[in-house]
Amino acid sequence: MANVIVNRVKEFLKKYPPFNFLTDDLLELVAREVELIYYEKGEYLFEKGEPAKKHFFVVREGAIHLTEELAGISHTREHCDEGDVFGVLALLGKRPYILTAQAVEDSLLYAIPVHVFDDIMQKNSRVSMYFAAGFASGQVVVRTDLSQSQEARKLFNSPAQDNGLMIFSGQSLVNYSYPVVSCQLGDTVAMAVKKMSSRGVGSIIVLDGDAFPKGIITDKDLRNRLIAKGKPYETKVEEIMSHPVRTTHTKADFAHIYLTMIKHRLHHLLITEDGTDQSELVGIISDHDILLSQGNSPAVIINALQGTSDIKEIAKLRDQSERLLGYYLENEISIDFVAGIITEINDIIVQRAIQLAKNKHDTSFKEASKVKFCFVGLGSEGRGEQLLRTDLDNAIIYEDVPESLSDQAASYFHLIARDVMDILFACGFQACPGEMMANNPQWCQPISIWKRYFSDWIRQPDQESLMMATIFFDYRPVAGFHPLANSLTEHIYSEIEKEKIFLNFFAKNALLNPPPLGFFRNFIVEKSGEQRDKFDIKLRAMMPLADAARLLMLSHRVFGINNTFKRFEKLAELEPTNQELYLDAGKAYEIFMRIRALEGLKNQTSGRYIQPESLGKLQRQLLKNAFFPIDELQKIIRVRFQLDYFAS
Amino acid sequence: MRWWKRFTSPVVPVKDFVADYERSFKFKLNKERKINDLTLLVLDTETTGVDIKKDFILSYGSINVQGNSILVGSSKEFYLKSKRLSKETIKVHELVPNQETISREKLIRTFLEDAGNLPIVGHHIGFDLALLEKAGRSFGLRKIKNPVIDTMELGIRLEIGKHADPNRINFSEYSLDSMCIRYGIFPDDRHTAAGDAFLTAQLLIKLLKRARELGILTIGELLDN
Repeated sequence: MANVIVNRVKEFLKKYPPFNFLTDDLLELVAREVELIYYEKGEYLFEKGEPAKKHFFVVREGAIHLTEELAGISHTREHCDEGDVFGVLALLGKRPYILTAQAVEDSLLYAIPVHVFDDIMQKNSRVSMYFAAGFASGQVVVRTDLSQSQEARKLFNSPAQDNGLMIFSGQSLVNYSYPVVSCQLGDTVAMAVKKMSSRGVGSIIVLDGDAFPKGIITDKDLRNRLIAKGKPYETKVEEIMSHPVRTTHTKADFAHIYLTMIKHRLHHLLITEDGTDQSELVGIISDHDILLSQGNSPAVIINALQGTSDIKEIAKLRDQSERLLGYYLENEISIDFVAGIITEINDIIVQRAIQLAKNKHDTSFKEASKVKFCFVGLGSEGRGEQLLRTDLDNAIIYEDVPESLSDQAASYFHLIARDVMDILFACGFQACPGEMMANNPQWCQPISIWKRYFSDWIRQPDQESLMMATIFFDYRPVAGFHPLANSLTEHIYSEIEKEKIFLNFFAKNALLNPPPLGFFRNFIVEKSGEQRDKFDIKLRAMMPLADAARLLMLSHRVFGINNTFKRFEKLAELEPTNQELYLDAGKAYEIFMRIRALEGLKNQTSGRYIQPESLGKLQRQLLKNAFFPIDELQKIIRVRFQLDYFAS
Repeated sequence: MRWWKRFTSPVVPVKDFVADYERSFKFKLNKERKINDLTLLVLDTETTGVDIKKDFILSYGSINVQGNSILVGSSKEFYLKSKRLSKETIKVHELVPNQETISREKLIRTFLEDAGNLPIVGHHIGFDLALLEKAGRSFGLRKIKNPVIDTMELGIRLEIGKHADPNRINFSEYSLDSMCIRYGIFPDDRHTAAGDAFLTAQLLIKLLKRARELGILTIGELLDN
């Protein structure tokens, strides 16, 4: 039983996030481990660059300033008083402090050991979310007082309605700033800066005579393109502005805006009347707005990934993304968005891994290292649907090289592939049991060989070829020289054009997977083995849909869309008569992805095998309803590809 | 004949934990050690009254302090089994109903194990130690030998000076309540042993900070009244 002292600590912590998200038991666990530390006015708690302590801090009384010294002058970045949490980097990154902390009053602080909280962050996505938010703002502090904490509590307790999270689900619009501070083409920089300064903003939009946005000037541009270059203040704004500008329309939802900004690493996105830069400017969204509005930031994870060459750090960031994933899934954030974020993070990890491998090997392979190549994801990674770190499927395609270079190129790319895979394994990704990975020499080949592989699969559609086709047809360029992948795509379509019968074989293959429900609407479960009595959601629910979508897209000669649910969206557009079915199928696929990922996170498995009884009644019903489109789709495929008259 | 026996054989059988405790004093505390590097045991007891002869301990609370830091994880709070019912015992149990109780032996054992040869700190600590000694007598405890720091005396020494004239000190200003107010400590959980121990610990880290400023750095200097 907790004693008076522990209770006293609990009572205090309970008032402030993230502690208010903890159950009583967990809170007690934390309270039992804390230290109460006294710092007198003027004392330093830690200094910038010092290695992280084993604990982070909560102010019980007094005040702490987090400061940064610039050119010998100390600037206060944050003021922390009662209930504020700081020094959190120790918890998140175990990296040196980025600011200096000094007591500006006599202060009593609770020091919360990191090891206690590490565990809690794993278990409680709201807590990790909270810290992610603090981390996100680039600061270690999350400001709160009691009233704010109650706000926060409200926010976190009803994720379905709060606006902070609604924006994730794509159902609400983002608040953008307007009117926008702007100047005209032909203005001098001095005029523009005067406006920026009087309005207290860090950027200004350059408009033409029609009030269409032509460019943007930020503080950074002033620094890099004006002052550093020694240009006069009379320089015209168009000389130093960044252009063209990225624009979107007023009805764009959050997911779209956010993904655009992340993909193109934009700090600002302009909103115009019709979404192009040939229409009137109506508002601006900055990445800061986004950070503020969402309280969490994959953008920061992505930034951190790009800034590090430390494999352990990369692995840690990937783990962090998994917590983000857990939070997204629990809060019913649209799979489209979630998959977009996770795919982007995975892609950047691959890109980083390739860079690291190249740094290591390029000097010993002077010529081979100049050969263009493309690293492609296959299977679910290729479809941009891999939420969990289940098996890796990938390959390397490189340019054809002269005979004299071919051995060298082969060994070079094999070394690169091997190192990249080792890094990915270190980041917690699982190897593909079928060895469909770039480090398998078979799947690390010049483009001519790849074209031959695909030609062989298409011309001789035996069982193995079709199996390969299901995996390799979903390739997606992740890093390197994308045109190589595109030229392969063209090759495939011209081959299919020549061998029309291939699609019939492919269709037959798509119907091979057994239906998910038995005659009595019960789940068909595994009959034996380790997974006995479990339902294989991948084989029985997801693969039939993914296979059907791939097949139908091929038959429409549409390429470039890999997501199964996006493929169904496209199909709905292409075949209005089956629109409803395709939209349902896409929704069903999203449901399966979500259930599988949640199951996988919960049990730390691939999530593939589900115990039907472990699902709640509602979930079970949801799952069963989601099976309907499978049956319907398979009927369409059977008729369209005349499979009943077609013997293999 | 019991009383006679007690007087003629003043050595009652010594329990192992008392023997262990006494052995720990073979290692003399180095007076040169910095206060900051030492662990101090802060404690408080609630008793049936203020008479060392008549009264006894109802509850006990303690917590460790290291440098400027209070280790919440080390905190202890005990309520004693008591056969005698008194107005005070009832009051305490009403204050904290349904508290688990422990035996006197368990209390003394835990206290001695926690104390070892650490300096013990308390407000008016002499009285608490006298009652603890009394409670430990039947287990063979003769004397609590730890160095002792009284936060009340330390406060007087730091505020008025070492050689203050006792007649000119207003002792009511050095009660735990008054000192807490003066040092900006909110008096939560007053009159529970653990609550008071926690307050005393907070008072102590503030007093120690002031002591350091006055050049009192080693435990020897701190104990040298």
